[in-house]
Amino acid sequence: MADKINAAAVNEDELFTFVSNDDLESEKIIAPRYSYWKSVFRVFFRKKTNWFVLGLLALLLLSCFLVPVFCKYDPYENVTNAYMYNKSPVEAMRLTGGFSLKWCLGSGQLGNSIFYGIWTSARTSLLLAMICAAINMTVGIILGAVWGYSKAMDRVMLVVYSIIANVPYILLISVLVYIIGSGFWSFVFALTITGWLGISYFFRTQVLIIRDREYSLASRCLGTPIPRIISKNILPFLTSVIVTLLATELPSYISMEVFLSFIGIGLSATVPSLGRMIQEGQVAFRTYPWAFWPPVAIAALLTIILYVLGQSLADATDPRTHM
Amino acid sequence: MEENKREVVLSIKNLDVVFNNSRKHSFKAVDNVSFDIYKGETFSLVGESGSGKTTIGRAIVRINPCSAGAIYYKGKKISGKISRKDDRDVVRKIQMIFQDPAASLNERATIDYIVSEGLYNFHLYKDEKDRIQKVENVIREVGLLPEHLTRYPHEFSGGQRQRVGLARSIVMEPEFIIADEPISALDVSIRAQVLNLLKKFQKERGLSYLFIAHDLSIVRFISDRIAVIHKGKIVEIAETNELFEYPLHPYTKSLMSAIPVPDPMIEKQKKLFIYDPSQHDYSVDKPSMVDLGNGHFIYGNQREIDKYKEIRFGK
Repeated sequence: MADKINAAAVNEDELFTFVSNDDLESEKIIAPRYSYWKSVFRVFFRKKTNWFVLGLLALLLLSCFLVPVFCKYDPYENVTNAYMYNKSPVEAMRLTGGFSLKWCLGSGQLGNSIFYGIWTSARTSLLLAMICAAINMTVGIILGAVWGYSKAMDRVMLVVYSIIANVPYILLISVLVYIIGSGFWSFVFALTITGWLGISYFFRTQVLIIRDREYSLASRCLGTPIPRIISKNILPFLTSVIVTLLATELPSYISMEVFLSFIGIGLSATVPSLGRMIQEGQVAFRTYPWAFWPPVAIAALLTIILYVLGQSLADATDPRTHM
Repeated sequence: MEENKREVVLSIKNLDVVFNNSRKHSFKAVDNVSFDIYKGETFSLVGESGSGKTTIGRAIVRINPCSAGAIYYKGKKISGKISRKDDRDVVRKIQMIFQDPAASLNERATIDYIVSEGLYNFHLYKDEKDRIQKVENVIREVGLLPEHLTRYPHEFSGGQRQRVGLARSIVMEPEFIIADEPISALDVSIRAQVLNLLKKFQKERGLSYLFIAHDLSIVRFISDRIAVIHKGKIVEIAETNELFEYPLHPYTKSLMSAIPVPDPMIEKQKKLFIYDPSQHDYSVDKPSMVDLGNGHFIYGNQREIDKYKEIRFGK
């Protein structure tokens, strides 16, 4: 003990040295450089469940886009072969001679393969959701940003919005589908003709909130043109809002398609879709459950995964979680 | 008398700014305000919160439109509708420094973009190399380091952020700067840093400032002339020493008496002078802005002016 104290006393002069007072040195920031997107992914991948859900989504996406490429789905291949109608997985495989992926989920009303059916249908639903979300989000965000910024446009658009928003969405879509037919692209048209309006309105409110913040006033004082104010001062602040919106929009189009096809005003019978399969399966789902539950499961899984991933990503894009 | 020879940079004539949500509810934030700012001087606007100081500053940069009156910059009208060329010119020459350095910097942009924003808008550089050179120079001038350019505003301290705001204005090579309470959001220990920078740039570049503040001790330190504003009306304009030695208007007196004295004994016994606007009887004798001489302007009616003259110059 005494030795230690002595040692310290001896070395006292060497323990402390004066630091020179340097103004520039005090300005230095020691913290590592901040990068927005790096932090987003760091927060996102910190959660183990996100890895799992992302893997599941990758598996689903791969199946949706690869299975139909390698295995052509033909809903009418066994239409003349009544033995194949409504067969359970075990029976279907026995009839076709041994185990095969194609019949591992049984066959449908017209002897179609359920396994091939669900992936081809899921691809249709996913494509529909992606295309509709892309169109509605792009149009909605751009128009919403201008709408929030321009007072003249605000007056006009509010009237347009109040009129169109009061027409029931389902009614509008069913009337449109009756008029222009029920193909894939006419369905996209029906979903996007007014679909952007709600997004646009939501965005207008967001833009209004941050439009008159002080840094935007500062940009005006510097003579920044409005397009650059929108792209540099407003949209970067809305990244997390955009991702949140996408997280709810994408699955909502899948459910919308399923719902509309289920009540009979969706895609036509020639386009395989999840809603269509569920509608066909529900007729006798107590007797032939294998034709009903697989498409329901895929639809539910897709919606839930997209929603969960979207929400996690939305949380990660919020810079308040980056600490 | 000498002042008449000096060049007037900015002149405000009978300015009114009215905010109205509807025709019935309108609020006159600035009421018949006139003053001139000379080249190279610091003109301060002092008043309590909500007195219209910031509104005047924002009317000059045309964020708030004028309801009546006019603003002239070097003899050219800049309020109301003006040509695009004049507009660009004024935007470049008149810059603003904001009160809250945290709110006035775009959090999602790097310091490089924030400082270059004006340069991009007016294309004030020959090539990319020239732009980087300009930005690095100005960032060094405000005492920051070029390595800060890739950083984001939230990584800086308040004083550093306000210096970024200053760099953003200075890089435009303005002639006139509106400093809207530039130090009221800063820690007391770093206020001097920003004030000294403002003074340095004024000396080097002959800038004129409109300094908006409510802290009289800082105003006394930085300004050449001071205007005291109350409820949208200017009540007194004078040179700094004149105003601090002979505060005449009762509102100015009440502001002066509110300056804290760093001595607890004196501070405890200090009598506060409370301003009561009802002491003015303007029902018959209408008030106006009157020059008392010695560059001292005061708002009052004839009876009050006589009284003020008596106090100031004796009988």
